[in-house]
Amino acid sequence: MAFIKLNDLEIEVEDGTNIVEAAREHDIEVPHYCYHSGLSRPANCRMCLVEPYGPIPGAPPGTIGPARQLATGCTLTVRSAPPERKLEEKYDAIVRTDSERVIKAREDILEFLLVHHPLDCPVCDQAGECDLQDFSYRHGHDKSRYLEVKNVPPKKDLGPDVLLYSTRCIVCTRCIRFCDEVSGSGELGLINRGSHDEIDIPRSHEGIPIQLLDNKLAGNVVDICPVGALISKDFLFKSRPWFMEKANSVCSGCSVGCNVTVEYKTDGVYRIKPRFHEDINQHWMCDDGRLGYHYVNSDDRLQLPQKRVDGELVTTQWADALTLIAENLSEVDAADIVVIGSAQGTNEDNYVLQQFAHDVLKTTQLGLFGQLPGEEHKFPQFTIEADKNPNTAGARTILGSANGNVVLEGDALWEKVAGAKVVYLVSGVPERALEDAEREALEKVDFLIAQDVLPSAVTELADVVLPGTTFAEKDGTFTNSTGWVQRIRKTIDPPGEAQVDWEITQQLAKQLGGEIDYHFAGEIAIAIAENVAGYGDATHQNIGDAGIKLD
Amino acid sequence: MSDEIIQIETPFQFNEENKREFDELIGRYPVKEAAMLPTLHLAQKQAGYISPAVMKYVAELLELTVMKVKDVVTFYPMFFEEPVGKYVIRVCHTLPCALRDCKVVLEHLKAKLGTDIALETNLAKGTTDDGKFTLMKVECLASCDVAPVIMVNDDLYKNLTPEKVDEILAQLPN
Repeated sequence: MAFIKLNDLEIEVEDGTNIVEAAREHDIEVPHYCYHSGLSRPANCRMCLVEPYGPIPGAPPGTIGPARQLATGCTLTVRSAPPERKLEEKYDAIVRTDSERVIKAREDILEFLLVHHPLDCPVCDQAGECDLQDFSYRHGHDKSRYLEVKNVPPKKDLGPDVLLYSTRCIVCTRCIRFCDEVSGSGELGLINRGSHDEIDIPRSHEGIPIQLLDNKLAGNVVDICPVGALISKDFLFKSRPWFMEKANSVCSGCSVGCNVTVEYKTDGVYRIKPRFHEDINQHWMCDDGRLGYHYVNSDDRLQLPQKRVDGELVTTQWADALTLIAENLSEVDAADIVVIGSAQGTNEDNYVLQQFAHDVLKTTQLGLFGQLPGEEHKFPQFTIEADKNPNTAGARTILGSANGNVVLEGDALWEKVAGAKVVYLVSGVPERALEDAEREALEKVDFLIAQDVLPSAVTELADVVLPGTTFAEKDGTFTNSTGWVQRIRKTIDPPGEAQVDWEITQQLAKQLGGEIDYHFAGEIAIAIAENVAGYGDATHQNIGDAGIKLD
Repeated sequence: MSDEIIQIETPFQFNEENKREFDELIGRYPVKEAAMLPTLHLAQKQAGYISPAVMKYVAELLELTVMKVKDVVTFYPMFFEEPVGKYVIRVCHTLPCALRDCKVVLEHLKAKLGTDIALETNLAKGTTDDGKFTLMKVECLASCDVAPVIMVNDDLYKNLTPEKVDEILAQLPN
């Protein structure tokens, strides 16, 4: 540990910590652009200048004063010094971030950074979450002295989801370093020289791309761009950032379980951004997850229960659908019923479902349904997993948690389904096609109850369809492939009369005279903590925003 | 978004002589990336200019991304991204040459060749219609004591006057 004096604070930091991070821990702002804690540090923006103190050459030993030159806070790291090199006999370093010299330097650097920057904040997507805007306001001059003609480089299309407004770029090179270091694809670079520097993809002289910014992590360059230069086409001109609510959640795109912030308004989800988690996704997420939310806002979402009348699905009332299901369920043997949970559902959904199966239907035949496996993508510092479900691990454990429960998957499940009379299938998997074996098995079922979010191959075969909810419309927890249990949070209301999946199951249970009575997801999590091995600490209160790792 | 990316129809490749030279020079550098400039010069000598096909070839040779090569090519004005004339005439216009009337030399060349001055981003502007000459302004050629100077391809010509320029142009083989 290093003991340092930062302004007037005496603080202890880990060896090797840089001043930007040390200051951030103690709520002192050191403005910076090129520095990003997930990337290398070229120190090219010069914004994070601080004033280190040291012995003054020529002065009597023991006198210390400000160094001759300011240093960049991002590359100035501190570590514990041997006793003879301590400053004022106790500090490993003395640094000021608030001296007059530092304040003047920031002003001047900002003036340079703004030389070619247009004043187009009113039409810029980044306005409101722009480091250039914020730092100019807090550390900059109140006016520009630049009278010459500004460079006006063209707006560029870099790839499927990224636009570059070159005029706004301050050439911090975060995006280039991201592509070199994290995604390892190296599509971005600097063209031209000096004040004509521009970020670009490789192009022919005529401007036709040789290679596009087209990797599965490309969306991250938009997040790390400190200004409005790199813009997501998906979010362009959709909303001002301050009009959106934010909720900390977990991506439902694969079993990595990237921590995300879901940004939403009452009419739907607007965008998903990654949230830092040291052990899971660091600062990043993939574009599949980032852009995979659109089904939540779809106009086709199931809003009312449906039942099959003369071969056609027609909408009906909840009471009617539940009565119909209860009638069909009470006539069959427990051995002829299969209950299938969803790897897209939360632990809470699956817990209530297995309780319903075990306690009410008295069946031990459960199954697990989920998205078909995709491809695994490995990057130097990131992995997208092949399992496209956020909660396979959790659903598997929790469905099988009660005595005697058997959780079938794959061929074994569809064999069992083919021989069953009634199947209650909770899907909630968007755009899931059915394989031949699965379709054949489901066609043989006498009475298929499908709970889903969108009309799908499953609902096409169903006798009763119940409208469920997506990850954005409910509270709960997901367990990722490495055993992290993490919270998802309700953002928007479900469409129409769609209901949270565990609430639907609970109503079914009540219809059949069962005694399942939860009031909110947190209550179920407590039941899980009490009854499922390994989940002892996994209450919503304990999980918080950081998640907890199962043993 | 046009998802269209350039299709390289005729890939570039070093001829045998240049391949041998490349193999020799690559051994002089600790990392392959360091050989970028000599490799690009070699490629430009053979191809005339650095086309996308050349960039791709050099990137593969040096185990780099195409963007790293493009980055370097756009940084240095001695690499051309479009076809240039057989003779590239570089007229120095830095201070000592300017004081010694490089402007006269330049204007004379413009009139004589019937072309404008090339821009870094638009070499065609300074290239004659017959593709023989490209006229461009450059920064200091490090011969201030014999200003004004021009370079024609790799040869330096000193103490120029319009008459001398005529002589130089006349003795260039076709």
